Amino acid sequence: MNFVSRRDFLKIMTEALLALSGLLGLGGLLRFLGYAGESKPPQVYDLGLAESYPPGSRTLVANGQYMLVHKQAGFTAINTSCTHLGCRLTPGPDGFSCPCHGSHFDLNGTVLSGPAVKVLNSQTVEPDRDGHLFLQAF
Amino acid sequence: MRLSLFLAAVLLVIALLMAAWVENRRPQALAVTPSLTGETEFCITCHADLNEISPSHPVETFGCVICHGGERLALDADLAHSSMRGGANPSDLSVVSESCGGEQCHSGSPAEARDHIQRVQTSIQATYAGAIANMRYTYGAQPDLNAIFGIQAVQDSETATGIPALAAFDPTQENNPSLQTFAENCLYCHLYVEPLDRQEYTRFTGCAACHTPLTDHAKQDGIPDDVHTLTTAIPYTQCNTCHNRGNYDLRSMTFTERADHPTSRLEDYYQPIAQFTQCEYTLDCVDCHTRQEAMGDGDIHANQKDIEYVQCQTCHGTLEALPAMQTLTDPNDLAFRLAFLNPVINLALGDTIIVTPKGEPLWNIRLLPDGSYEQFGKATGHRFTFRSVMGSNCQQNVDEQESHYCHECHAVER
Repeated sequence: MNFVSRRDFLKIMTEALLALSGLLGLGGLLRFLGYAGESKPPQVYDLGLAESYPPGSRTLVANGQYMLVHKQAGFTAINTSCTHLGCRLTPGPDGFSCPCHGSHFDLNGTVLSGPAVKVLNSQTVEPDRDGHLFLQAF
Repeated sequence: MRLSLFLAAVLLVIALLMAAWVENRRPQALAVTPSLTGETEFCITCHADLNEISPSHPVETFGCVICHGGERLALDADLAHSSMRGGANPSDLSVVSESCGGEQCHSGSPAEARDHIQRVQTSIQATYAGAIANMRYTYGAQPDLNAIFGIQAVQDSETATGIPALAAFDPTQENNPSLQTFAENCLYCHLYVEPLDRQEYTRFTGCAACHTPLTDHAKQDGIPDDVHTLTTAIPYTQCNTCHNRGNYDLRSMTFTERADHPTSRLEDYYQPIAQFTQCEYTLDCVDCHTRQEAMGDGDIHANQKDIEYVQCQTCHGTLEALPAMQTLTDPNDLAFRLAFLNPVINLALGDTIIVTPKGEPLWNIRLLPDGSYEQFGKATGHRFTFRSVMGSNCQQNVDEQESHYCHECHAVER
């Protein structure tokens, strides 16, 4: 019967423990390196084909951050963040209202009543050659 | 040597396993990136169960740190809370400017009625100037009742009351032992300090003393951890954590609680010898008393009676005059903003509301087509109607408008 000597036992166990330590350390390192921070919001939103938005339409896009308005003159995106303190506005048939502090804006984003004093931010959106609408975040 | 190496390997494994265990015990971080700051914070990892503090302060817009301070990325509770402002109460007056201030928030201009913090800090509720002056006068420490001291030193460079500043009251400088006793026993009813440790006094300090009402249920075991609300719908029970809880005994310089704790508001809530009309025990204090009366008007006042000005005639008028009224024609009128914050009434352009002699809107009181008025309880939402004195059978002398004259006929039997 072959008995492992004390010396060999310690040698095997030491090597096993060091290997386990290495694996644990490697796992920690991989976890550290693999940490994904908060993903930044996209800077450009693909809104799909322009023909998806009929003339006269008003469509919330980009998770409600913008109202895409299709007028005769073209497309305009209105930022639905209140210019007072940044609360997300609630769109209505006559414009936008702020659920936080009660500011009201008309359909074009002009202030009807405060506390907001600045017009809603907006920018035109041009379709590309393929008729695709891309919205640069603003 | 080989044994030492083995033991070192064992210790290394144990250390690594412990590190992994500690790491895995950490909660899965939940993040919010408020639009106002754009900076990610992990507070909701542990506090996701807190209710939204108010519709005006949604967490996705404000987050937590802009008001509370704290270490926004820390997942360890002690570290996360280490730099919080005011502990659990960022509205404590020692930190309120940093927590709640800002031009667009609560330290803006008087013209826009956004100077809440400046007004509160010079208000009687914060300075306690009247009580201090009365006590010092009573015990011969000053020759008159002029306000000299406040709880904290305050200044008012544009004083309309003739009081440009108050020095900080320092009881250790007083020679009369009664004034030192007064400081020890009686300085618990102002916004800078925690109240006496009694259930019925339980409230926060600062803005939250009024705007974070604690229900009687919540008060049973002190302030619960999950109180997270700000409101302008303030019930009379919150006002009574300071007001109407007993009497000062000038002989012993102690505050004597009333024994008749409230069960019926009419029968035993108020001072036994006092008289009250129906509205005084039916409405909440804030239904009639105004922002300036409660939070100050920006000037330093000598005592409470100098800032309280709403009377019966403010709403009911006199035999010769209707109450002052204003028809709302401007969508930016302050009345709309206040009604938006506490939507017990659906105000519209063209509505006529009562205004006080100082021009403050009593936005919860609207003129009806038949000449009567409807009033909505700010804390209850209840609707009440009433008529003006003018045209009634009232025999009151027009020059006698203090409430005790009205009580002669209108006080209820108790």
